[in-house]
Amino acid sequence: MSVENLKAYIESGVLELYVLGDLSPEETLQVEEMASQNSEVKDEIVAIEQAMEQYAMQNAIEPSADVETRLFEKLGIIGEDEITNVTPQPVYSEEPRIVRLDSSNGNIRTLRFALVACVALLVISTAALFITYNKLNDAHDQIASLNLDKQKFAGVVSQLEYQNSGLDNMVAMADSKEWATIRMAGQAISPKSKMNVYWNKKDKSVLINYVAMDLPKADEAHEYQLWALVNGKPVSLGMFGKSDSTAKEAIVKMQTIQEAQAFAVTLEPMGGSVNPTMEKLTVMGGV
Amino acid sequence: MTALKKLTLTEPELVLALQSKDPAVLKTLYSMYSSALYGVISRIIVHTELAEDVLQETFVKIWQSASYYDNTKGRLFTWMMNIARNLSIDKLRSKDFKNSLKNQDIENNVSFVDEQNKVTFNPDVLGVKQLVENLKPDLQAVLDLVYYKGYTHVEAAEKLNLPLGTVKTRIRLAIIELRRSFN
Repeated sequence: MSVENLKAYIESGVLELYVLGDLSPEETLQVEEMASQNSEVKDEIVAIEQAMEQYAMQNAIEPSADVETRLFEKLGIIGEDEITNVTPQPVYSEEPRIVRLDSSNGNIRTLRFALVACVALLVISTAALFITYNKLNDAHDQIASLNLDKQKFAGVVSQLEYQNSGLDNMVAMADSKEWATIRMAGQAISPKSKMNVYWNKKDKSVLINYVAMDLPKADEAHEYQLWALVNGKPVSLGMFGKSDSTAKEAIVKMQTIQEAQAFAVTLEPMGGSVNPTMEKLTVMGGV
Repeated sequence: MTALKKLTLTEPELVLALQSKDPAVLKTLYSMYSSALYGVISRIIVHTELAEDVLQETFVKIWQSASYYDNTKGRLFTWMMNIARNLSIDKLRSKDFKNSLKNQDIENNVSFVDEQNKVTFNPDVLGVKQLVENLKPDLQAVLDLVYYKGYTHVEAAEKLNLPLGTVKTRIRLAIIELRRSFN
């Protein structure tokens, strides 16, 4: 652009309008382009700006103090210091604070998660404990009933063993030629009673078998006494318990007798008697 | 850093601090320019409370749009002053303002008339040394309209019933007059 044209451009007043912000965007761009290409235009703009600035300074009016207060409250800027050399320190002192807040937030978050996890574990544990406790109770009940069953069963088994051993013995004695079986029949006080006595012909030993007897139940104060009749005289062969005795062995060995014509059982007071009480003669049988 | 200890900063320092969003610089900026900007605003908006609201809005906008300021396109104060003027004019033309403050319009007109009436006084006779009054009345009238009343030069031409070119010339002459007096 020629010097004349440049002068005319400057004098057209467009630069003043530019500084006053009174141009369209297109015109503004044109001025800016002119200013970047021509230092005269640029200088003129600066001079206009400085004039307007000084003009404004000359016509300055002090606003009330609370405008400043409200402004900095609104922007969230605190602190009275308006000198910028304070600037770097807040920047540095704020940053670690932010980091600390972050980390403490993180810690709180972690702790919160941990707390939730703990509560959840507690609930699960309690539930599991409750279920286990119930199952344990059930198991206790089962064990108790099984124990009862076992005891009953053991009772039955021992009863069977007891009877079995007695029966085995009876069979063995019946087969053997050594043993004589004396069958004693019920007498006046107990006609239905019966009992066997086994007498060894060789060593003269006498056995009775609880399985092979059917005597009335003796009371607490009495027990049975086995007698052998030797030449018309009763000889005691020993005492034995009630017919349903809980003795462990079904077979009981009595006293040996060399010879006898008959065997008899009487009910005697505990400990036995020297002579049989004939009124209490329960069973008797001859050899 | 020692340079920053001054209460006032050079323009490049201000711009740098402002664009790095340093809160302390806004305080400095406020102490340096709030009264100049308030002078501009309160000439456009006479109502004190509203003018102070606009001043606050102006600094909020300066703070928020600092990154848009381009120092190759003009001085910082020009940029801030145009923000203040635009916000003031927006406020003046807003429906709210016109509806709620009808009295304000009258007040404005009164003050406008006052400004106009100054033409009849001879500043020299009154002994007023202020620059504004040193301006020739016809120059001052145009400058007041476009600078303080928020008129575009087109509106000012209509208002003063002058050709567009004359208004532009008078604005330029007024500013040249100012420049001369400052120098």
